Amino acid sequence: MTQVMMAEIEKGSSLGRDALLRLRKNKPAIVGAVFLVILIVIALLTPWIAPYEYQSQNLLLGASPPSADHWLGTDVLGRDQLTRIMYGSRVSLMVGFVATSVALIIGVLWGAVAGFVGGRVDALMMRIVDVLYALPFTIFIILLTVIFGSSMLLLFLAIGAVEWLTMARIVRGQVLNIKRQEFIEAAVSMGLSRWQIIRRHLLPNVLGPIIIYTTLTIPSVILLESFLSFLGLGVQAPQSSWGSLISAGVASMEEYPWLLIYPGLVLSLTLFSLNFVGDGLRDALDPRASKD
Amino acid sequence: MLGYIFRRVLQAIPVILVVITATFFMVRAAPGGPFDAERQVSQDVLQSLNARYNLDAPLWKQYVDYLGNLLQGDFGPSFRFANRTVNEIIAAGFPVTLELSLYAILIALVIGLTTGIIASLRANSWQDYVPMSISMAGICLPNMVLGPLLVLCFGIWLGWLPVSGWGLTPGDKILPALTLGSTYAAYIARISRGSMLEVLSQDYIRTAKAKGLSSARIVFVHALRGALNPVISFMGPAIAGLLAGSFVVETVFQIPGLGRFYVEAAFNRDYTMILGCTIFFAVLIILCNLIADVILVWLNPRLRTQARLGD
Repeated sequence: MTQVMMAEIEKGSSLGRDALLRLRKNKPAIVGAVFLVILIVIALLTPWIAPYEYQSQNLLLGASPPSADHWLGTDVLGRDQLTRIMYGSRVSLMVGFVATSVALIIGVLWGAVAGFVGGRVDALMMRIVDVLYALPFTIFIILLTVIFGSSMLLLFLAIGAVEWLTMARIVRGQVLNIKRQEFIEAAVSMGLSRWQIIRRHLLPNVLGPIIIYTTLTIPSVILLESFLSFLGLGVQAPQSSWGSLISAGVASMEEYPWLLIYPGLVLSLTLFSLNFVGDGLRDALDPRASKD
Repeated sequence: MLGYIFRRVLQAIPVILVVITATFFMVRAAPGGPFDAERQVSQDVLQSLNARYNLDAPLWKQYVDYLGNLLQGDFGPSFRFANRTVNEIIAAGFPVTLELSLYAILIALVIGLTTGIIASLRANSWQDYVPMSISMAGICLPNMVLGPLLVLCFGIWLGWLPVSGWGLTPGDKILPALTLGSTYAAYIARISRGSMLEVLSQDYIRTAKAKGLSSARIVFVHALRGALNPVISFMGPAIAGLLAGSFVVETVFQIPGLGRFYVEAAFNRDYTMILGCTIFFAVLIILCNLIADVILVWLNPRLRTQARLGD
């Protein structure tokens, strides 16, 4: 390991390569990343590799415990639980990634503009963030689903619109901090254009916190979607997500506990993995700001 | 200090007004009147219904009337249950939710602080690693999974505790409170461990040790006071999460609290109930954040000076 490190130092290592090296030593993060990659691949391939049709029912079979034919058992309508969880993963992961992207775009733009322009514009923009922060957004999303009916698009937009606030604060703080530092001044005095400074000096330094916070936003978005679907206000039947599967599992957990345990397990493991990867990235990308 | 509180309350008022206005017009913008989907009613009935719910006045008048009623603490009648007012429903449900939340906070603080402090004093030993691993699990296990699992374990398989209800059978409050509190216990454990470690490495702790103070006094009087700040600033926003959590917990355990009523109102499209409850929750959360901020300033002399000087 030390030899590798020395070689890296001699070659002069970039931020990315350095971080990768540190990340590779973090076992929980690697295990989490592997789990996530497998999960994503399975979700993407679901229409081709799912053992059964999504809608196919077998009312004669009813709810059956895990068996050779149905690895994770079947639900009360005799639908294959594994198939349903696989399709549910597509919905949950898609909401997670799309809504996080919405939050990412709004948050980064908002924070970067506020931090870069500064002055009154900054004060006003951050005041708006402060006000929005004080609002109970979970409740507002419920309100929105009541008014507009629940649809995937609404879920994307509503959840994305909630989660950008912290991102905006983080990006603004970083931009403000870096703008003041001497290497930016040096770059200016060397006659670099504004765009060159943003691209070569500002962005790479803000990128770390953005990546870290994005990985930590995805689990909270997935959790929010599951929460809504659990209450019956999110994804609507016949579509299912992890939340609605868990909710169905709770309804019959006394007789058929496997209907609760497996979707719950997949959701929990995903949240675990995302948190581990997020923590690992934080330690890798920003060694100064380690957790403790 | 009083000036600071006064200023914060003044700042909260426009936020609350924004919430009320936004909620009111969003509900009014809902496609279709509240009675459209229902069976055809005669013109007379429709008129009297419109009159009862103040729907025949112009929109701005409705808004002003609603604000006026709110100022008198009147949320109006429920759309769905003709003979009940929103006030009555809140009065019936909120004490239950409040009691549940208080137990959850108590559990979170007691378990979280205890483990956090012990872990920080025995940092990097098994007494640190084991509880911190468990707390990671507590954070990642959502209460919609944890709650049913606890019911399955202790309620159904072991048969030790009741599986649902609130105040009906002895011990039926334990599982819901535990479910709701566990996530926060886990967060508080991690936060307090981190802040304790930071405080314990500071000079004034070394001074206290050099003075020959007992370690109990150092930990509980000197270190804890400084280490509590991050926990308190976590508690304010956590109340909002606690409320959302209570929706799930009250659904799982069939508890007649405000969270469950709110979700039911969302299903029934009970517009006035949703409007009233949203405003009620929003004001509650804004107040909790305010109280957390005030306590924070009160505990931290540096912030106190800042507050006196006006931010």
